[in-house]
Amino acid sequence: MPLRDIINFLKQPKIFVFAIIWMMMLVVLGTLAQKDMGLFAAQNRYFSAWITWFWYLPMPGGRLTLIIILINLSFFFFNKSIWKIKKLGIVILHLGGILLLVGGGLTAMFSSEGNMVIEEGAQSNHVEDYHLMELAVINTSALSFDEFTIFDQPLLKRSQILRHQNLNFEIEILNYLENCAPAKRTSPAGIQYKGMMKNFMLNELKPEKEDNWNRPGLIYQINNTGTNADGMYGIFLGQSVSQTVSINDKDYAIILRRQRTYLPFSIELLDFKKILHPGTDIPKSFSSEINLIENGAVRKILIQMNEPLRHKGYTFFQSSFIEGPDNETTVLAAVKNYGRLFPYISSIIMCIGLLFHLSQKLPDLFRKSREKIAS
Amino acid sequence: MKLCSLIFLFIISLGGVLLPRDFDHRDIPIHENGRIKPLDTFVRNQLLLIYGKRSIKSNALPDELNSKGLSAIDWFFDIALNPEEGDKYKVFNISNPEVVASLGLYWDPGHVYNRREILSGIKNQIDYIASIQGKPEAELAQFDIQLLKVYSNVIQYQALSYSLSCLLPLIRIQNETIAQSLSVNPGDKLSYYQLMRKANQLSPLMERLLNLDKNEWSESDYELQHIMGVLNEIDQDKFARILKIIPPESGSQNDEWQSPWELMESRMIGPNQENLLITLESYLKSRIENDAVKSDSVIEEYEDLLSRPFKGLFNLTNVKLETWTNKANLFYKSIAFYILAFLLLVISWMTKPKILRRISYACLLGGLAFHFYGILLRIIIMQRPPVSTLYESIIFVSLIGVICASLLEYNRKDGMGIFMGAIVGGVLHFVGLGYANDGDTLGMLVAVLNSNFWLATHVTTITIGYGTSLFAGVLGHVYLLQTIRTPFDKKYLKTVNANLFGATLFALFFTLFGTILGGIWADQSWGRFWGWDPKENGALLIVMWQVMMLHLRITGLVKPMGFALGMILNNIVVILAWFGVNLLNVGLHSYGFATGIAINISLFIAFELITGLGTYFWAKNRQKQLTAY
Repeated sequence: MPLRDIINFLKQPKIFVFAIIWMMMLVVLGTLAQKDMGLFAAQNRYFSAWITWFWYLPMPGGRLTLIIILINLSFFFFNKSIWKIKKLGIVILHLGGILLLVGGGLTAMFSSEGNMVIEEGAQSNHVEDYHLMELAVINTSALSFDEFTIFDQPLLKRSQILRHQNLNFEIEILNYLENCAPAKRTSPAGIQYKGMMKNFMLNELKPEKEDNWNRPGLIYQINNTGTNADGMYGIFLGQSVSQTVSINDKDYAIILRRQRTYLPFSIELLDFKKILHPGTDIPKSFSSEINLIENGAVRKILIQMNEPLRHKGYTFFQSSFIEGPDNETTVLAAVKNYGRLFPYISSIIMCIGLLFHLSQKLPDLFRKSREKIAS
Repeated sequence: MKLCSLIFLFIISLGGVLLPRDFDHRDIPIHENGRIKPLDTFVRNQLLLIYGKRSIKSNALPDELNSKGLSAIDWFFDIALNPEEGDKYKVFNISNPEVVASLGLYWDPGHVYNRREILSGIKNQIDYIASIQGKPEAELAQFDIQLLKVYSNVIQYQALSYSLSCLLPLIRIQNETIAQSLSVNPGDKLSYYQLMRKANQLSPLMERLLNLDKNEWSESDYELQHIMGVLNEIDQDKFARILKIIPPESGSQNDEWQSPWELMESRMIGPNQENLLITLESYLKSRIENDAVKSDSVIEEYEDLLSRPFKGLFNLTNVKLETWTNKANLFYKSIAFYILAFLLLVISWMTKPKILRRISYACLLGGLAFHFYGILLRIIIMQRPPVSTLYESIIFVSLIGVICASLLEYNRKDGMGIFMGAIVGGVLHFVGLGYANDGDTLGMLVAVLNSNFWLATHVTTITIGYGTSLFAGVLGHVYLLQTIRTPFDKKYLKTVNANLFGATLFALFFTLFGTILGGIWADQSWGRFWGWDPKENGALLIVMWQVMMLHLRITGLVKPMGFALGMILNNIVVILAWFGVNLLNVGLHSYGFATGIAINISLFIAFELITGLGTYFWAKNRQKQLTAY
């Protein structure tokens, strides 16, 4: 029977042994690589990749290896010999292992995380992604509202043409720079350059070790509007003056920013506090006193180290801060994770399983030794 | 019998804590690096910094003293009470011959020097020192780093020896007029602080001095001028402000403690602080006058003054306990017992096996008791779980290893547990002592670690995991050695192998749940269960290695000897996860970074590889020979 053969093949513990040896290799390589390429890049190359390339040799990446382990583990339950009281602990333990892997998979697929940066006295209702960018084109012509058109990161690549019914023009991407620095021009710019590019140019830099130290930039062109807005533009992350164009009586602001996710509530920072152990530079605690504002209702909450705020599936952690001349800015890490409970449940299950097994096995393993010596 | 005497000894040392002890000068609380500690700890660490040891050995003492050693606290009071005579102690330990030569000193095996000798050398180098001072450490040569260290040690020493000079009776009042206006007897000696308190009483005399022409000055005017000169001279010591022994008047946890000189300068001395300073002043005076009775009563008064207004700031019992712990050196005692246990065991192999083995076991348990008690005291003093720094993790892992070994010995009663316990306990203790010499081993923790619950659960579990894993690794060594020794005793080897399997399961339990608990902590405080951080990966590697070994063994892919070898190699994984990730210097866990550790790790890996593989192939060969017969 081919089905039985497949099952018999998939349930072999040998598969697990080889897979875990390979996984250990990946963990070692991925850990060592962090020193050179930083955590984000190492994670992408070794841990969350399906395939990891070693020169021209494709090998299973961390994600694929873990899925192989998960499949092998699932077929473990087809072993008839394990369904005995004596092996109950083992069965429970492996069940917990499956849950842990499934939870990890859910987290890897569906969780999202980002930063919420709020100055003292200000409010925010969105989370900024750590890594992804977006291009926002804002129509500011109307008096009472602004119209936002957002292009996501996957669209921001060379020779992509961005068009949308909201816009009466097209944007052609000439280049997307992962990391760049604006530099003042030393000679007059060509006539095709517009906006900031008249006085500055964007120099491409080598990507930094940590992805969020990069300052991405974008060079794009506006074509065929027949107005003097036609030409080449440049834009970079954190640009202090945003690029504005006006085309056929419509005014637009164009901004490159970290990808935003809007929340159904907003957070106002009342006060950020950093307390040091007296007489030292060792921080004792960081905390943000905030107002959680939802449908007009206001709730006062304190977020501090090891004590996050959980609300509507989001969790907000005290992650960092920026000290300014007169007021401080808090950086909250916001996480939405559907797999959050899995490690908790699976660790309890695995704990029970292993304890059960140990309680059966350990006395045996140690008592026997004495009796045998005596005999 | 031996066990009884051990228990007796232990109870006696326990008594040091159970019996209340009078407050004395060693217990004066001081604030340093965010923590309130006894003066005793503070000066021990200062001496460690300058001299490299926590007490002074005879090589640094003047010959005429003819003494074998001097405690840090006695040294401190000696140099603080007589700052000008401190040069008799050669406490500057310079281990770099180049630096010694550059300071114009002679290199000798002891390489200890006094302040005066170094100061003249430093003066010639001061331009060079100024030029390298601001540079980042990476740009400095080893010579520069050592020279800067000597320089900062001299400054530290001066700050220490002049720290109490404002309270010392240094100003003699001879003139009757001045004595009268200060309401003291002629011939009395006053301190800087005393004169400052009485400054108002001197102001009419001062005014007179300023308004008169010098040739109209009387004797009292000349003396007043002299007094002013002395005051000015003492005032030069105000840089010596490291001795933060006066609590904030507010009694608040978040306010800073101040040193006597800081208070002199700020002139904002609260009534409670003033009482403390005055009592300290009379304490110092009584010590200079060698009046033991008075100094005892004054220090009692100091305790009284401390305990009432500043009650919420510290627990004086714990401060006293720490002083006692400093003196008791429990970990030295435990290490001595472990070594003794090992020696007795070795002798028992040659003669009188039964009795000697029992005595040896008692010694191991005695060492364990001191070891455990030492850790317990640290928990009480710091009010936090036992493991929060690299040093503490070493001491704790060693405790776990010895506990496992003791249990094994209890089970087997053949000396194997003693052998393993003495090795694990002794070796790790020595490693720990190396770390203890970095300074205060009781440091404060950064915000994210400041959570007793998680420190108690995750960190303790994972550290127990390290301990049990290392224990299993040593058991692997034992198995291979026994296979070489007695390859024919299949029954015996089988029991050892069963023990090894059990120890591995046991270790897996702790490493697995330690790792998962760590993930849960990370989820609680950083928002992600797993972040592929080097330390997390290290822990994961241990778990995966052990899971792999268990599956290899269960499926029969490796035989008992291969399993033993695998658990020996597991030691390498443990050490890399424990110390090695700190070498990468990336990630969220590199709080215990240490240079120079790389060599030790490589040596350990080489040792495990050579002995592990060597014994494995030897054992295999032995078995082959056996089957050939």
